[in-house]
Amino acid sequence: MRNLVSALFVLIAPTSFIHASEPPKFTEAELTFFESKIRPVLVEHCHECHSADSKILQGGLRVDHRAGLLTGGDSGAAIDPDKPADSLLLKALRHDVFAMPPKGKLPDSIIRDFETWIAMGVPDPREAVTGLTQRAVSLEEGRRHWAFQIITDPPVPAVSDSNWSLDPLDHFVLAKLDAAGLRPVADANRHVWLRRVSLDLTGLPPTPADIDAFVRDDSPDAYAVVVDRLLGSRAFGERWARHWLDLTGYADMMGTSNNVFAEHAWRYRDYLIDAYAKDKPFDRFVREQIAGDLMPAGSPEEQAENITATGFLMVGDVEIVEPDKAKMEADHIDTQVTKIGMAFLGMTLGCVRCHDHKFDPITLPEYYGIAGILRSSPATHKIPFGVWSRLNATDLPETSEQLAARTKQEAEHEAHLAAMNNERSQLETEKGSVLEELKKLEQAASAGSETVEANKARAESLTKRRDEIAGRQGTLGRLIQHAEFFRSKAPRAYAMHDGDQPADMPIYIRGNPYAPGAVVPRSAMLVPSWEAFPEIPAGQSGRLQLAEWLADRRNPLTPRVAVNRIWQKLFGEGIVRSVDYFGTRGDLPSHPELLDHLATRFLQNGWSQKQLIRDLVLSRTYRLSSTNDAASAAVDPDSRLLWRMNPQRLDAEALRDSLLAISGELIASNGGPGLVLEDVDNCGDLVQAGVNPPNYAHRKPRPGQEFQRTIYLPVLRINTTGDDRIRTHFDFVNPAQIAGQRSQTVVPTQALFVMNGDLFRKRAKGLADSLLAESPETGTRLEQLWLRVVNRPISDAERSTAAAFLTELGAMINETDSAARDSLAWQELCHSLLASNEFLFRL
Amino acid sequence: MSFPPPFSRRRMLQTAACGFGGLALADLVHAASPTATQLPGFMPRAKRVIFLFMAGGPSQMDLFDPKPFIRERHGQKIDSPLPPQVIQVGTEKYLALREMAPVRPRGESGMMISDLMPHLASVADEICLLRGMNADNPQHASATNQFHTGVFTEVRPSMGAWISYGLGTENQNLPSFVSIHAPGVRTYGSGFLPAAHQGTPLTVPLNEQTLPIENLRNASPSESIQRHRLNLTQRLNQSLAESVRGDANMEGMIQNMELAFRMQTTTPRLVDLSNETKNTLELYGIGGGKPSDRHGRACLLARKLSESGIRFVQVTMDGWDHHGDIRGNLPRLCAQTDQPVAALLKDLKQRGLLEETLVLWSGEFGRTPWSQDLSGTAPIDTHGREHQPESFCAWMAGGGIRGGMTWGETDHMGYNVVSGKVHIHDLHATMLHQLGVDHTRLTWNHLGRDFRLTDVHGSIVREILA
Repeated sequence: MRNLVSALFVLIAPTSFIHASEPPKFTEAELTFFESKIRPVLVEHCHECHSADSKILQGGLRVDHRAGLLTGGDSGAAIDPDKPADSLLLKALRHDVFAMPPKGKLPDSIIRDFETWIAMGVPDPREAVTGLTQRAVSLEEGRRHWAFQIITDPPVPAVSDSNWSLDPLDHFVLAKLDAAGLRPVADANRHVWLRRVSLDLTGLPPTPADIDAFVRDDSPDAYAVVVDRLLGSRAFGERWARHWLDLTGYADMMGTSNNVFAEHAWRYRDYLIDAYAKDKPFDRFVREQIAGDLMPAGSPEEQAENITATGFLMVGDVEIVEPDKAKMEADHIDTQVTKIGMAFLGMTLGCVRCHDHKFDPITLPEYYGIAGILRSSPATHKIPFGVWSRLNATDLPETSEQLAARTKQEAEHEAHLAAMNNERSQLETEKGSVLEELKKLEQAASAGSETVEANKARAESLTKRRDEIAGRQGTLGRLIQHAEFFRSKAPRAYAMHDGDQPADMPIYIRGNPYAPGAVVPRSAMLVPSWEAFPEIPAGQSGRLQLAEWLADRRNPLTPRVAVNRIWQKLFGEGIVRSVDYFGTRGDLPSHPELLDHLATRFLQNGWSQKQLIRDLVLSRTYRLSSTNDAASAAVDPDSRLLWRMNPQRLDAEALRDSLLAISGELIASNGGPGLVLEDVDNCGDLVQAGVNPPNYAHRKPRPGQEFQRTIYLPVLRINTTGDDRIRTHFDFVNPAQIAGQRSQTVVPTQALFVMNGDLFRKRAKGLADSLLAESPETGTRLEQLWLRVVNRPISDAERSTAAAFLTELGAMINETDSAARDSLAWQELCHSLLASNEFLFRL
Repeated sequence: MSFPPPFSRRRMLQTAACGFGGLALADLVHAASPTATQLPGFMPRAKRVIFLFMAGGPSQMDLFDPKPFIRERHGQKIDSPLPPQVIQVGTEKYLALREMAPVRPRGESGMMISDLMPHLASVADEICLLRGMNADNPQHASATNQFHTGVFTEVRPSMGAWISYGLGTENQNLPSFVSIHAPGVRTYGSGFLPAAHQGTPLTVPLNEQTLPIENLRNASPSESIQRHRLNLTQRLNQSLAESVRGDANMEGMIQNMELAFRMQTTTPRLVDLSNETKNTLELYGIGGGKPSDRHGRACLLARKLSESGIRFVQVTMDGWDHHGDIRGNLPRLCAQTDQPVAALLKDLKQRGLLEETLVLWSGEFGRTPWSQDLSGTAPIDTHGREHQPESFCAWMAGGGIRGGMTWGETDHMGYNVVSGKVHIHDLHATMLHQLGVDHTRLTWNHLGRDFRLTDVHGSIVREILA
């Protein structure tokens, strides 16, 4: 281990010691100049960050000895004796390249002194002091941080009331509460718990039948029965896949510019839904997303799944319009490294693209060790459109049934295309004869023929036909272009694929691909490592080894980060609140033993996410009411110690999906493309080359699409419209961003959306009409309304309030038709309840 | 080890829940701090900002920075200064393209302004022209992100959000950041800052159908029915709030329902220009059929919003992306924007507001001195220009910036900055400085790191300060 570390340092050690090795000789006058004019300035303005005494050596540059200046730091030599005037040091002092000192430019007279000094040949008697600061944070120091320590299995603590616990995890919670002198509140009632667990696990509220079944079930298994039903539903996969998508930058667009469609991206989304629905073990899930294409597969389906999984490293805001392709590649690799760091490790690796991490023990060679692995699998290629590139896609293997179905579909497609081409050539022929006849008629008219009247009528009809033909030809032209463009139906996915020449890469000094530094071996982060990174076989990228490293039981970060993410989705805040950052500046775990206890169980249960979720939601802690308690709130207002359940506002998806479910309009989907590319009106000009590639506008949804769950709607990077606005208003993670936890904002435009927006208005109408159709009795309708929207029985007080509301409204509505009046009054009532906090939040 | 964030999440949300309220950082707001006067040279010179964003990238050579070198070689090949790895489309011939109209000295200072902007030329002595602007990315989306947030790809708070966070609001009844005709959510987003600081996007309605703010129109048949519906919602909310006490988000929704209800009447009143005098409307070039009508309304509204205490008002005027036929297109854009923009300066000045209002005019980048022709066959007079972040022009006025000053020079062809370079980070640092905020101290802790609008860069352009 230590050998590996020093090996790395040797590799990154600068190579240009030539100047330093020749002992320089200077005159007395020259040295006096240095001592009087230069040294004091260096000490006063530069040493804080650029000397052996610096707490953190900035930019790898030391100015406290001559060789340090000549050798330079991450940006190269500070002084160039061959071209003194071009020296980086002077540029920095002039604030041309860097602005040094950062606090403000030094007077011109001092800068002139430096010019003179460098022109003299850099007279400087100073030699290097030992104690070279290489890392901002040393490995040993870094290892002391809690998150890098191995996961333990702490004993279950003793508590004041062991009957309170339903699961060992409750002991850990109660022990903390005991220590703080707090008492947990009572359990939530069954209605509240059922609504809570249904929304958390599936993003949908329970139906009246679900409620009825649970409330009547007095068996000891009643809660577990509900949880197993929810975990077994496809809706669970649809809910939890979306959580993972927040960590990927997923969109159905490649970059932000020009709405260039990513027509295969949906396959990765469907892969995730399926992975969660079938409880793919998390270690396997990690491996597939990094290196699925390199893993063995037992069937074409499995292989297709593995390949698709690597979409994790492909989807995201790739600036494919960048005209400098080296920069584009470096930027994309950076998003990949950042994503791996954040999603799996809870580390901000992106910081290390330009310099050693300021707070965490991560150095440039480690970043470029991972970057080299990713660079060995190129992700984009240039296309014949201006400066544009496109994400690489891989053909997916098919079963013989799939292939047969596709062959049939392609034949139909070709037949359709042939028919259109045929129609076009017939029209062309017809147009020829129409134009010819028109010409003749014109000639006849100018010649003053006798049959003028008859000719006129004929000419009119011919002109009409000529225009019809022109119109139809225009339409056909677009349809044919569209059919030709989308000719191949071979299933493809944006996927990683090892390149021809996998290789180690150089450090890019300051992240600049045109300033390559030392080449570093491909590897992973050192601090959490338990042994040296395995040898990467010749001809391989190293993704397989990286995948194994990430998903190894001995990796202290991956299981902790995963467990904490799941906890956060169920309790609102993570045990470590900074869910994406477990570094030294992150939050400390509120319950460190609990986190390790859960991580250990996670590993013991074969990395099963469903098992963990099951255990968590069947715990006492999850069952607590969200009712307030003044005494506890005074001590712990945020319920960090979990004396009550914190209410959560429904996220954009849960809101929209619940509205559709409640109004009875939700349509199930098995996935498939979110983009409606088959509608020619959604596509821009579909040429095969040009300045800009074809683009997409979501003008026409697919029939029924607006009633499908939100995860199936296309994710656009700009210009969201229609139903999709709910994501914009309610804290959807901008797809250029990756974030494991969404913010919960409260702004007035959300209230306007709820109060006046089409989505709420239409679902209120759908709900009202279904209630009116179901029963003639106001009382029955009210009971149903409350059950459906807030998933509990209506209280007597609410019943009379609602009845009075309907009566009052009846008088206010200016409508003579009683059915229409009823419909509107009930719509207003439904809308009122849908806008209430009890619907917008889960308790 | 670990440092707690300066505000707890829940505290943060409580602040956010006050609707448009701001989170004022007293130690950064020198206007409100009696000790601030002891800091020499660091008094706030501006109270608010109006940012006129020329989306697409106006051509600096045609408007402010003409080059005889280019004029003399019109239609001839010049040497490309671009690095070889950059792919070019339609500019491979590197044909010099002369300016579209005469650019002449104006005002007492002799600042160079095109004949295409006669109105701006008449207020040349109010503005400080920055001819050494510099950005880092030649693509609209990335460059727009950089101009607004300091970075290209990461999602970060926009400058208006930072200013809202740093200075809070002057008027409790209004948002602290409004973006008129915003070009995209990331230009007014609050990133990791609390959402209370995100910009409120506003559309200036030109007809009955357009709403100034989304979902502003009552969905019920009458206001009384809507109020009745809302009363029931609030009654239900109240009884829930009694059992779940102390949830900031729930309380925030209750307050926002009322605020939203009021906004239905207050917002249309705010954007209504029907009571403006004929003189005002004429000043801004407002009137059916006039090319300046739309932007005139936007600029007048910006003045009204700014006057009422909104910290950061942005007006976006798009259409400057002249890849082709710049000779035909540029005069049209100037006719749409010149009078409104100059009117804004005149109006602020006559109301005594210019001194305390910093006005900034800029695109996300500029355009090349050489021509672009995507067809490859068009005559030179129908060519356009490609994007150029290496150098371009912006201007500032008011808010303690020197008027009648030209700062920064480019090389013989107008590609590289040779002196007075102002990078986007420097522009941000200077803007914050004029507001009395130290750009190195305006930070937010996110993922363990203190983030700034200027990242680790930015220096104040002291030469242009009055």
